[in-house]
Amino acid sequence: MKPPPFRYSAPTTVSDAVALLVEHADDDPRVLAGGQSLVPLMNFRLAQPGHLIDLRRVTGLDTLRLEDDVLVIGAMVRQSTAERSPDVALAAPLLAEALGHVAHPPIRHSGTVVGSIAHADPAAELPAVALAADAEMVATGPGGARRIPAAEFFLGPFTTALEPDEILTEVRFPPFPGGHAFVEFARTHGNFAIVGVAALVALAGGEVTRAAVAVSGMGPTPLRLTAAEEALVGRAPGAAAIEAAVDAGTAGLAPAGDLHAGAETRIDIARACLRRGIEGALARALDRR
Amino acid sequence: MRDLHEITLTVNGREHTLAVEPRRLLVDVLREDLGLPGTHIGCEHGVCGTCTVLLDGASIRSCSTLAVQVDGRSVRTVESLASGPDLHPLQEEFWDKQGLQCGYCTPGMLMRAVEILEQEPDPTPEQVREEIASNLCRCTGYQYIVEAVLAAAPRLRGGQQWDPTAGTAATVPTEAKA
Amino acid sequence: MTIIERRDVPPARTHGPRRWVGQSIRRVEDPKFLRGRGGYIADLVRPGMLHAAVLRSPYPHARIVSIDTTAAEAMPGVYAVVTGAQAAELTDPLPDFGPDPAKHTWRCLAVDKVRYVGEGVVVVVADDRYLAEDALALIEVEYDPLPAVVDPVRALDAGAPLVHEALGANLAYDRTFDFGDVDADFAEADLVVRDRLRWHRSGGQPLETVGAIADFDPSTGQLTAHTNSLSFTSYLFMAAATLRIPANKLDIRQVPAGGSFGSKLFVTKPLVIAGMCSRIVGRPVVFLEDRVDNISNCDHHGSDRVYDVELAVMRDGTLRGLRIDTIDDYGAYIQFGVGHHGNALAQVTGPYTIGSVRYRVRAALTNKNQQGAYRGFGSEVNNWMLEQMVDKAARELRMDPVEIRRRNFIQPAQFPYFIPTGNAYDSGDYEAVLERALELGEYDRWRAEQARAREEGRYLGIGLITAQERSVFSATEFWFWFDEPGAPVTSMPESVTLNVDATGGITATLYSCAFWGNSPETMVAQLVAEEFDCEPHDVSIVYHGSQGGLPATGPGGSRTTVMLAGAVEGASAKIKAKARRAASELLEVDPDDLEWTEGGFQVRGVPDRRKSLGDIAIALHLFKHTFPEDIESGLEESKVFDHPWTTMPSADRSDLGVFYPFMGHACHVPVVEVDVATGEVRILAYAAVHDCGTLVNPRSLAGHIVGGTAQGIGTALYEEFVYDDHGQLVTSSFLDYTIPSAMEVPELRIDHVETPSPYTPHGIKGGGEGGRMMAPAALNVAVNDALAPLGVRVTELPMTPDRLRAAIRAAEGAPPG
Repeated sequence: MKPPPFRYSAPTTVSDAVALLVEHADDDPRVLAGGQSLVPLMNFRLAQPGHLIDLRRVTGLDTLRLEDDVLVIGAMVRQSTAERSPDVALAAPLLAEALGHVAHPPIRHSGTVVGSIAHADPAAELPAVALAADAEMVATGPGGARRIPAAEFFLGPFTTALEPDEILTEVRFPPFPGGHAFVEFARTHGNFAIVGVAALVALAGGEVTRAAVAVSGMGPTPLRLTAAEEALVGRAPGAAAIEAAVDAGTAGLAPAGDLHAGAETRIDIARACLRRGIEGALARALDRR
Repeated sequence: MRDLHEITLTVNGREHTLAVEPRRLLVDVLREDLGLPGTHIGCEHGVCGTCTVLLDGASIRSCSTLAVQVDGRSVRTVESLASGPDLHPLQEEFWDKQGLQCGYCTPGMLMRAVEILEQEPDPTPEQVREEIASNLCRCTGYQYIVEAVLAAAPRLRGGQQWDPTAGTAATVPTEAKA
Repeated sequence: MTIIERRDVPPARTHGPRRWVGQSIRRVEDPKFLRGRGGYIADLVRPGMLHAAVLRSPYPHARIVSIDTTAAEAMPGVYAVVTGAQAAELTDPLPDFGPDPAKHTWRCLAVDKVRYVGEGVVVVVADDRYLAEDALALIEVEYDPLPAVVDPVRALDAGAPLVHEALGANLAYDRTFDFGDVDADFAEADLVVRDRLRWHRSGGQPLETVGAIADFDPSTGQLTAHTNSLSFTSYLFMAAATLRIPANKLDIRQVPAGGSFGSKLFVTKPLVIAGMCSRIVGRPVVFLEDRVDNISNCDHHGSDRVYDVELAVMRDGTLRGLRIDTIDDYGAYIQFGVGHHGNALAQVTGPYTIGSVRYRVRAALTNKNQQGAYRGFGSEVNNWMLEQMVDKAARELRMDPVEIRRRNFIQPAQFPYFIPTGNAYDSGDYEAVLERALELGEYDRWRAEQARAREEGRYLGIGLITAQERSVFSATEFWFWFDEPGAPVTSMPESVTLNVDATGGITATLYSCAFWGNSPETMVAQLVAEEFDCEPHDVSIVYHGSQGGLPATGPGGSRTTVMLAGAVEGASAKIKAKARRAASELLEVDPDDLEWTEGGFQVRGVPDRRKSLGDIAIALHLFKHTFPEDIESGLEESKVFDHPWTTMPSADRSDLGVFYPFMGHACHVPVVEVDVATGEVRILAYAAVHDCGTLVNPRSLAGHIVGGTAQGIGTALYEEFVYDDHGQLVTSSFLDYTIPSAMEVPELRIDHVETPSPYTPHGIKGGGEGGRMMAPAALNVAVNDALAPLGVRVTELPMTPDRLRAAIRAAEGAPPG
């Protein structure tokens, strides 16, 4: 289990990195951030890029900053850095909580937040968080940067709206004043989850005013459960609203089963995670008032 | 023709300049190019933690890291723990508590434990258990590893070193008759 | 061949006081491992060594139409490319203890067709592993896919695709054994409890894979090999024959193994691949499996059984008879025959006075990696099966699960006890183990807690099982399956040489005893220290290569400590006999007037007239003329210790004889909570009490109980090699083959009851497999206890969320009843 040969570059600017993507377009180039998804796949020779463009020396990509209330995470910010950042804890607590579920600390020391989102594993935590949080993806290509809403970013398993000559250089998390919860179910601690739920809710005047719920592991991409959100908004936070949201949220789901859980069990588990996720987010929202 | 890249690594305090193929995994560079076989290869896809080393003080999987990715950085392996005849307190407690059986996961587990105790010098048993869950051990069932890490914690807090004159055949109590 | 009948029961020993046996000393093996200087197979680099990699079949079942190796051969850095057909010209089939091996020939690489995903097709030798894998990618194999046979029951259907055409069916073995009057016991039973049970395959999956370094010297014809197992000295000649090398030109040297759990019992295939390649290229060659090789092609998947079982029970809870019909999915080959069922038959009736057994075993061949050894070797499956049946009997009788077990225990006064199969249990005190486990596991408190939790709608379950742990197998187990066995062998020895140097320092030489996380060195050090009153850590331990070594068998079936103890005892007695004579010369007294005390011989009752072992040793090494002519210089003795209690099977196999007599016992009491919404099982508490006779190093043994239990938790809840309906292996990484982490394994409470064996040195019984023999059964009982209010009873392992949710859904959908 050794990676196949490839060419390697470690440019120092984003524009150089993009130029390399363009220059080696015929050589199946891949961008390397932390490598915690890519290198294992290369060890299995399931990924065989011809050219790796390592972002480690690119200046400015390892920063995590607040622009007004928006949390901006650069492509080389390690998951453990984000997990320990007070800015993330305050500005995007859903992300902070979800990061604690991403594999294990040694993986998070290398793995990046943005890299995990760009990898777009439908079972992974961070794409679901980005989707629930209405994050914006900053894609930089030869023509400069453009922003892609999370809702338009995930196209299929390991497939995104990035063009072949684009690099996901930043992800922007807007604020969400309210309660959050990330809940997942995995066979063993730190392993890929069967189902994950990212939930955000806001309360005012004794009712839910806003809700955002995304689920991982239930389709080819993370899914936004708008029916669950609609079932919550306008209702008093309580068991009835939660059950309605669970029913509505899972009603249209048609996951593919796999060896860890068949489709029926996946829905059973999604129901449990959804219930616990909404409960948790509501409890925190009530705490905030 | 192999495409070689020059990198500089500081490993256990010593700087090395090497020309490596970009595909070469850090674990292979440590084991084969630098002659440090203490870092082992387990699952080769980042799950088991057998290959754990410290990179600038933080634990990483050296089987899922390209050597070129750590150019200019500092790596610590199990070979850095003992000082001559003296074992590191963690090694000493792993020995005393029988926190190893086949020894294969042990270097990775020790390096992870170094980091755990640096981050939390006075952990609870539950914290140790959760933190070492990053590394698989197929022999011990983890219980004596947890005990060993907990036993090493106060010694590291106090900056104590192992006293080699204390003997090597110390007996430990048999299982508590609860 | 003449077989000399042995006494039925050996003379009972008396066991004296002990100083070192029973102490939890630090293990003597550990310092090198703690420093990262273990010297594992991957750490051994030989000058000029090349690396081999094997191309694996992507198909479960396919004809190999053609193989084009041209591009691989032309690649720079490649030294050899060998196809299965070429390998078959260079080597003979691999050693196979199965029935009629010619009808399911097992080779180091597939020849005409591949029979499972992962089977080796071509081997490449290159400068390094990276290049070897590059070359594999250049090999073009044209396959003609064939339908695969995956399900072991359907594999036996007429018309099923054939794994081996020469066999004419997929049924490699089928025999029914009757022990005792089964029909009478069932005829008289008040109740017959029936069930169909399913145990899926898991495996040892050590963190280190399996490998061999071979170095063939064309000038002498000698092949020197290092492997991470050395447990097959007893049949090394067969590996030599496979390589077509004289047995006395093959030296296999021991390398520590990074875990085995049975799966490194015999490292034959990697050895043959490396040896063949080294002979071709004339340089040392290492073949070390990668993780995918090990998961898919290790030849050591565990048991994979379907059971139909009936248990004859009386109204008062007396267990009378068992009818067992099992189909075992062996995969594509059957290297150890149905030996796994011998392990089961050694303790088939558990700790109970069940009087009769009918045992039918059918070995099915399918398109999967073959079975090998996994901690328990099939006896753990029997424990699980029997305990499920006893538990079900208790339910159907509405009896307390503790009471039904207690009522059927073999009592201490009944030992040695012969079970219906003919095997003997040497000793035991099952009631004492049970009582201690109930106390340690706080059984009554948890029952109260369970009742409280049920009122809250939580599903707690308490598992209680009482089961056996056989140790120290006899060679008869390899052949009593057959009426006309090819080789009815009776030897299965272990050897030790003790050398006392001129300063009195002791070196023990071990033959064939691999280190794989067990502690042969610590055990021998403690046993030697016990004999000679020295510090265990001052004893040096070395391993002898196979060449010119004494007869030995190696670990397996929890035999190591008992067998090494016998060998150390025997060699020590010889050393002491010579030392006594030498001391008598030095002290000028009659040898009979000397007594061994505190590390030397002294004149009985005269403490200042003594010679230490060091005094005696220096005299024997350097002062020949101090002694009579017939005393040779030096002080070194060996002992080949044979199995202490083996009797022959009867001709009709209604009695299999004594073949696994040192019988450990345990009671495990886990407490679980099942999240009925997700099917997740959490372990809230876990108590384990074991009796494996006299303990040598209690902490080491406890470590094996915890570690084995962790593996048993894996078997019960997490681990399974899953092949899909087409025969594709879908668990080919540790992401999918899920091994328990520290968060899945609870803190165990452990205690021991020590019932010394009357027939072994110090009263030791084997215990290395302990935890895994018990945990799957205990957790299954616990989960069933938790789900009883829902009317759910789980009969299939592992108990995954998917299986538990399916059972709960079915119960929810079922009409109330």
